[in-house]
Amino acid sequence: MTDVTQSLEIEAPKPLTEDWLAAGIGLFIVLLAFLGLSGTNFLGWAVSTSVWTDPSHALAPAAKTFSSLGGIPALLLTYVSLLIVLSIGVLITGANVARFATTFTVLFFLAYASWFIGNYAHFAAVTPADLKKFDIDWSLKLTAEGGFIIALVLGIVIANFLPRFAEWLKPAARSELYIKIAIVILGAAVGVAVAGKLNFASSLLLRGIAAVIEAYLIYWSVVYFIARKWFGFSREWAAPLASGISICGVSAAIATGGAIRARSRIPVIVSSIVVIFAVIEVLILPFLAEHFLWREPMVAAAWLGLAVKSDGAAVSAGGITEALINGKAALEGIHYAPGWILSTTATIKVFIDIFIGVWAFILAYIWTNHLNVRPGQPRARAAEIWERFPKFVVGFVLAFLAALITSLTASPETVKALTPSIGEANVFRVIFFILTFFSIGLLSDFRKLWEDGFGKLVAVYIVSLFGFVVWVGLFISWIFFGGVHPPLAS
Amino acid sequence: MASDLHDELNRPAVEPLLPIEKKLIGISLGLGVFLLVVLAVINHFVPVS
Repeated sequence: MTDVTQSLEIEAPKPLTEDWLAAGIGLFIVLLAFLGLSGTNFLGWAVSTSVWTDPSHALAPAAKTFSSLGGIPALLLTYVSLLIVLSIGVLITGANVARFATTFTVLFFLAYASWFIGNYAHFAAVTPADLKKFDIDWSLKLTAEGGFIIALVLGIVIANFLPRFAEWLKPAARSELYIKIAIVILGAAVGVAVAGKLNFASSLLLRGIAAVIEAYLIYWSVVYFIARKWFGFSREWAAPLASGISICGVSAAIATGGAIRARSRIPVIVSSIVVIFAVIEVLILPFLAEHFLWREPMVAAAWLGLAVKSDGAAVSAGGITEALINGKAALEGIHYAPGWILSTTATIKVFIDIFIGVWAFILAYIWTNHLNVRPGQPRARAAEIWERFPKFVVGFVLAFLAALITSLTASPETVKALTPSIGEANVFRVIFFILTFFSIGLLSDFRKLWEDGFGKLVAVYIVSLFGFVVWVGLFISWIFFGGVHPPLAS
Repeated sequence: MASDLHDELNRPAVEPLLPIEKKLIGISLGLGVFLLVVLAVINHFVPVS
């Protein structure tokens, strides 16, 4: 085993523990947002960054009631609160808290600095009205979410040019944990948005079933065939590889590796390839979506959920795409309600995640009963479905239902107060996005692609992803989401 | 150990596709295409509201 794979094995996430942790932290933030309905604001002190030309006016607390606090204290308060909450989580998972706290401090400020730079008006301003407002005559029109790209690129630069520093930062670079917390918080925002457009949203959810069928039944079988027949991979390599490319990257590769009783290093090596290609996709696909699909925003949203592997990368790509497409549409006088593109990408990803356990059980059954029968080896158990179920989805569903039910049943005054409360929770969702982008970049050591033996893995990934998965995903997204547009902003 | 990985990944195929694997691929693909066609038909007659 190489040093790289050894270190990956040590750093490999503990999916179940990490999932519950993400659900707990995400629900805690959503709970604080709901408690805000009682009249006491528990989240308004969190830092929010506006598009700026004068840096001293960029940072401010999320709620006006906390404006006397000031931007820098709000930033420090946000950092301290996240440090405390995440350190408690890290302590529960058994990791080294002191090491996490030290590295998280550096990671947080580097990541937030990227976000701050991304909000510079010459980068972020989009519409002519924005240019006039900031008194500037040009902008890259990256939107404020361009800060995500800056965080990603900064992470990649550190990973590839400052490898020792990147290695030192790794205890805090927990991209899957951060994105899962963000998805749980997103659940509440989706619940509020859906309440006003129930028919539309349920139509979209039904179409999410198509994504599940596509990922598990079509992608997996074709990629498995390509890996086995064209590239001569053994079953032990081909199954985790097919799951990694087809379903949901890292977690699917690890679940499949466990299900077929593969050696532990195999899903880890596959996961490292998945992460690198997911980053390449995040850097390319949102801009292609903006250019070619801006008139079909929901096709773009579904496509990214299907094409970009790993939760973090897919949802991140959805966030960038929403900003880019909404910005471009705004130039044409079309103002889409925020959140629908991102929510569609995230929901499709969550839909796909839900069935990982079922798929792993099916594979485990076939492998332990037909392909890899060994005396004394435990057979597949139905309990594995629940064991491999992505538990953060429980948090997403609870947050979604709480927001939806409140929106549909509470008094008009409460419903009116709910939107800004969830909006303040959303400030944390954005911060976890920033941490995710930076962490993904930090874990993307492109030198691995040239390591001895990786060539064949990379080849099967390129052939499958760019020769099949991306195009079939686009085709099917077009069939099911073509002509569907997000609601307009009111 | 890197050479182990290299040797393992570049070893000629010694595991031909077994009937059960062909069955898994065939059933998955067939069922997937069938269900997508059914959903596409439903999508056509019950458009997004």
